[in-house]
Amino acid sequence: MRRQSPLRVLKKLLSNPTSLAGVILLVIFVVIAAAAPAIAPVPERSRNPYMIPRDGFSSTPRPPGPGHPLGTTEGQYDILYGVVWGTRTAFRVGVMIAFFTTVIGVSLGSIAGFYGGAIDEILMRITEIFQAFPFLLAAITMTSVLQTIYGRRAAGALMFIARVMALFAFGHNPTKPVDPIQLRILTGMLAITLFGWMTYARVIRGSILSVKQKEYAMAARMIGAGNMRILFRHLLPNAIFPVIVIASMRIGSYVLTFAALSFLGLGAQLGYADWGQMISFARNWIPSLAAHWHIVVYPGLAIVLFVLAWNLVGDILRDIFDPRMRVRGIG
Amino acid sequence: MIAYIIRRLLILPIIILGVTILVFGMLSQLTAYERASLYVKDIPKRQGAMEDIIEKYGLDDPIYVQYWRWLVGQRVEPTGEIKGGILRGNLGWSKTGKSSVARVIRRRLPATAELALWAAVPLVGGGVWLGVVSAVNHNKPIDQILRVVSIVGWSIPTFVFGLTVMMVFYARLGWFPPGRLSDWALQVVQSEAFRRYTQMNTVDAILNLRLDVFLDAMKHLVLPVATLAYLSWAYLLRITRSSMLDTLSQDYVVTARSKGLRERLVIRVHALPNALIPVVTVSGLTLVGLLNGVVITETVFDYPGMGSFLSQAALSLDIVSVLGVTLVSSLILVTGNLAVDVLYGWIDPRIRLQ
Repeated sequence: MRRQSPLRVLKKLLSNPTSLAGVILLVIFVVIAAAAPAIAPVPERSRNPYMIPRDGFSSTPRPPGPGHPLGTTEGQYDILYGVVWGTRTAFRVGVMIAFFTTVIGVSLGSIAGFYGGAIDEILMRITEIFQAFPFLLAAITMTSVLQTIYGRRAAGALMFIARVMALFAFGHNPTKPVDPIQLRILTGMLAITLFGWMTYARVIRGSILSVKQKEYAMAARMIGAGNMRILFRHLLPNAIFPVIVIASMRIGSYVLTFAALSFLGLGAQLGYADWGQMISFARNWIPSLAAHWHIVVYPGLAIVLFVLAWNLVGDILRDIFDPRMRVRGIG
Repeated sequence: MIAYIIRRLLILPIIILGVTILVFGMLSQLTAYERASLYVKDIPKRQGAMEDIIEKYGLDDPIYVQYWRWLVGQRVEPTGEIKGGILRGNLGWSKTGKSSVARVIRRRLPATAELALWAAVPLVGGGVWLGVVSAVNHNKPIDQILRVVSIVGWSIPTFVFGLTVMMVFYARLGWFPPGRLSDWALQVVQSEAFRRYTQMNTVDAILNLRLDVFLDAMKHLVLPVATLAYLSWAYLLRITRSSMLDTLSQDYVVTARSKGLRERLVIRVHALPNALIPVVTVSGLTLVGLLNGVVITETVFDYPGMGSFLSQAALSLDIVSVLGVTLVSSLILVTGNLAVDVLYGWIDPRIRLQ
């Protein structure tokens, strides 16, 4: 990885047709998320705008038609409403997981790289232990464990973590108990976060190890700067950029993982505006999917386009930051 | 290289120990009531039964005592029988599988292995082939198309892809059914005359010379295998492509070209073997990574393997089963990764001779 000024990166992103397509898609999603109340108005009786309004209780999905431009799923949840409000969920989940994993990874990785020795050895072994779990399996396991614990309503330190996450993700007042509907989302996010920070720890450790040897770090130490000052003022600002790039490249994959949890019934609550959760209804209609294609296609398209947008941008970011991936010589 | 392998082998037990500590850490968050199924099938419905079990199995002992007991098992008086102990292969009782967790895993692992085995061939073959095609036609339309296809492929969730192929090939065309075997084939497989050598239907069918059963098993495997393979193609394609492009610009390839060798020979004899070295590692890691893919794939296609068991157990919050599957999977992952590393050192002389 090499350093690039953010402005130059942005210019490159906009000049390449593939990444431009990604940026445009992302902008469209941002607009949809921001304008959700205008595109899919919240019914007056609704207590939580993220719960998809139902039109009756019949189990058979209805095809697209008047009143429901994209049709309804099993249980008459409106697909258009879910797809539009689900955009907000996708951004929230992706960006928040990227944020929390980065915070954990950067903290542990920079401590390991900065202090070295036994601390480094121990922290890196811990990182390897977390990497010894298949990621999705670990996320599923952790979600089911957390759900059991949170289900008891007396979860001590874990409830404190949930409140902190709720503050960031939903702007929730940390002195009040967390809404059970939000808690379901937070559980999935927390599970993915706990098993998703390892790459960042390794990357930041590597960068810290290399910038530690630079003259300015030595100079800071010579004039008597403290450890914390060296780490925060001199090392981290010079080492953190690649991590932020990787984190933004991974947002798509976090959204995919969360969608998988929701699809299995472990993520968002039934009826919550979440794409994976909406598709999970389709599992009951597999033999007649040919007639009910819309319950897979519309929410599915939303996920694919959303993740595709991040991946298109990420693909070019990789080219910009990792010169080894660039083609040498021919062509 | 040998020093490296020895170092890895020495670290391995530490990692595995760490994995067990982490898994037990999760278990310890459960109440004694929930943890009881580590040792007993179910709790009798009489007054004080729970207290007896807690007393008997020491479910409120200090955490390190419980951990040790969970690891090596404990002798239960008066019978002298040993209960629990994951080192003895005893992972507790599965409420979801209505059997011991170890037995459920033993029963379901062959199904998952069969799926992964069949997926490996098209996955690695297809991914590498497309990567080479892409690199050889660098910047031509076919390269651009494959690049787009791989990014799009990477963005499709497993379950959306799985449900879409089901929609077309099962719901509409009726070619490939979900599940693992048709009813008639299941009866054949379970009959006395049919010897189960490996528990893998396709392999056993060949060994029993039952072509009809083999074809039926294959029919059920096509869609899940395609789903697993397609979603990993994208990654392999990208690695092969960049490795191949790298190799094609090396001096020895330029030399081979300039001495007038035909392009096909240049690629096959000089470029490909060297370009494939990093691909071997990535292929190995991708195959190990199928552990993740099978969970969703098996669930979508209603395929009775370890992955669908995990998702059922997780949904009913049967933590003992979930952690059992996770423990076994991470052991597979750790050994698989080690094997890939060793293999890499073995095929690349630059590393081997270090």
